[in-house]
Amino acid sequence: MTAWRHWFVSLTIVILVSIWSLLPFYWLLVTSFKEAGTEFRLPIEYISSTITLENYRIVIDEPFTIQQSIGNSLLVSTAVMFGTILVSSLSAYAIARLHFRYKVQSLILLQIAGTVPPVVVIYPTFILTRSWGLLGTVYGLILPNIAYNIPLSVWLLTAYFSGLPYELEDAAMTDGFKPFSIYWRIMLPLATPALFSAGIIAFLGSWGEFILALTISLGRPEAQTVPAAVMSFSQQFELQWAWVAAGIVLSVLPVIALTLVFQRFVIRGLTSGAVKY
Amino acid sequence: MSTHRSSLAVLFLLPTFLIVCLFLYYPIGQTFIFSLYDLRFTAELTPERFSGLANYKAVIQNSAFWRSLRFTLYFTVMSILLEFIIGMVMALASFFVVKPLRSLLRIIIIMPWAIPPIIHAALFRWLFNSDVGLFGQLLVNLGIVKEAPLFLFEPVLAANSVVFAYVWKSSAITSIFLMSGLALIPDSLLEAASVDGARSWMRFRYIILPLLIPTIVTTLLFRVIDALRVFDIIYGLTQGTGGTEVLSYFTYQFYFRFNQFGAGSAYAIVTFLMVISISFLYIRRVVGHLQLKGQPT
Repeated sequence: MTAWRHWFVSLTIVILVSIWSLLPFYWLLVTSFKEAGTEFRLPIEYISSTITLENYRIVIDEPFTIQQSIGNSLLVSTAVMFGTILVSSLSAYAIARLHFRYKVQSLILLQIAGTVPPVVVIYPTFILTRSWGLLGTVYGLILPNIAYNIPLSVWLLTAYFSGLPYELEDAAMTDGFKPFSIYWRIMLPLATPALFSAGIIAFLGSWGEFILALTISLGRPEAQTVPAAVMSFSQQFELQWAWVAAGIVLSVLPVIALTLVFQRFVIRGLTSGAVKY
Repeated sequence: MSTHRSSLAVLFLLPTFLIVCLFLYYPIGQTFIFSLYDLRFTAELTPERFSGLANYKAVIQNSAFWRSLRFTLYFTVMSILLEFIIGMVMALASFFVVKPLRSLLRIIIIMPWAIPPIIHAALFRWLFNSDVGLFGQLLVNLGIVKEAPLFLFEPVLAANSVVFAYVWKSSAITSIFLMSGLALIPDSLLEAASVDGARSWMRFRYIILPLLIPTIVTTLLFRVIDALRVFDIIYGLTQGTGGTEVLSYFTYQFYFRFNQFGAGSAYAIVTFLMVISISFLYIRRVVGHLQLKGQPT
């Protein structure tokens, strides 16, 4: 195939894949800039004839105050991110580097937990959260979301730790380092790329978690993370989709930006289960 | 291997297992216990009346459950099939295009994955709007149909609309998985296959595909687990209209709409057993790949 033809075919492919992948995003953006009310007019405007920022002003105002749920999501996801990498790096280190019985079994037990359907655990978790008095708050979301993100995180950290050379560890051991300081001062710094992957995936995962957020927020705006808030807005204002669209744009901006910037880490983290290490 | 080292490992594992047991294993056990009780209209922890397997008997006798199960299986099979084809085409394309366009194409491919599931569902509800939705109007303007169909309400159409929406998002992740498998295949083989025509198909079929089989099996198992437990897309897109109640959504309604916690728990356990049977196959596969030092023999 000539170079010229290869370029031509490549561009065609990029355009076709863009239509498939980006068309819904395009429609979301266009809708968010339409004057409220015009989005329901026929014939529909593929390119809006008027462009307004009014919808964005409305969604940061009462009763939407989308920034409140974005703030809640930032709080929950940041806590979940740090909690997950801290807890799971401890156990991943043990599974990858320490000697003990039932090592493989521990890993299997954790991985099985990662495939449990959310609906199976939702009701007991609801009761548990209520008994701690955390219903209607965002704090009740943090620990369960750490639990949901531990399996994948432990998996990819274990794979990473077990691929590291043993020399440094052995040297540290002869220097009299205790196992915990080997983990904290030698292994963790070495595993930075994997910790990064695990952290971002936990952040994105908890940002998108819906069923628990819906159940324990009790519909209170101050307790809603982005998914619960967007869902209740879109049901409440189904006839003002320009508003809903603006709210969605603002609320997915952080995760889209994260994914784009850290694309490499995200992909490496997600695929660690599918390919052989 | 001294007992001292073992007790040390326990300390490292303790936080992980505490959290996982508290929010995953304990609730499963609790759900199982609830499923043996007649529990309704109350949210008290103390079960009302032990009823043995009565809830499970009701599950089997409920024709709505069988409809839901049938749709869940249809949804899973169709989604996996389509996302595999689309994901594979995109993955191959990302190795075929000229080098300067590769990372751009990968970013475009991954985009649908980045949007949170429930927001994806809300967005597609807008796209499928029967009056002014983009999809319906495109079909009308292209002269394919006279009037935009009721994508989310007509029985057969609704099922396929849900599959379409789900596949749009999930083919992104499937594609990424397949790319990671393709990345392990030597460049020379991939590039040789990029010559168009029948020869490239033969190369794909007889050289690349066999090398990719391990990745494909793992990917499919992983995707089946995700499809079987799907909830958000149904909640956000159809709320079960047009016969699109998947098992998770069906179960959810028993809990939070009908307040039948015992019956809901029985449906939850049935859903759990279905998913877990695939999980075992998947986990056995991926854990087998991992080389751990000092495994006890």
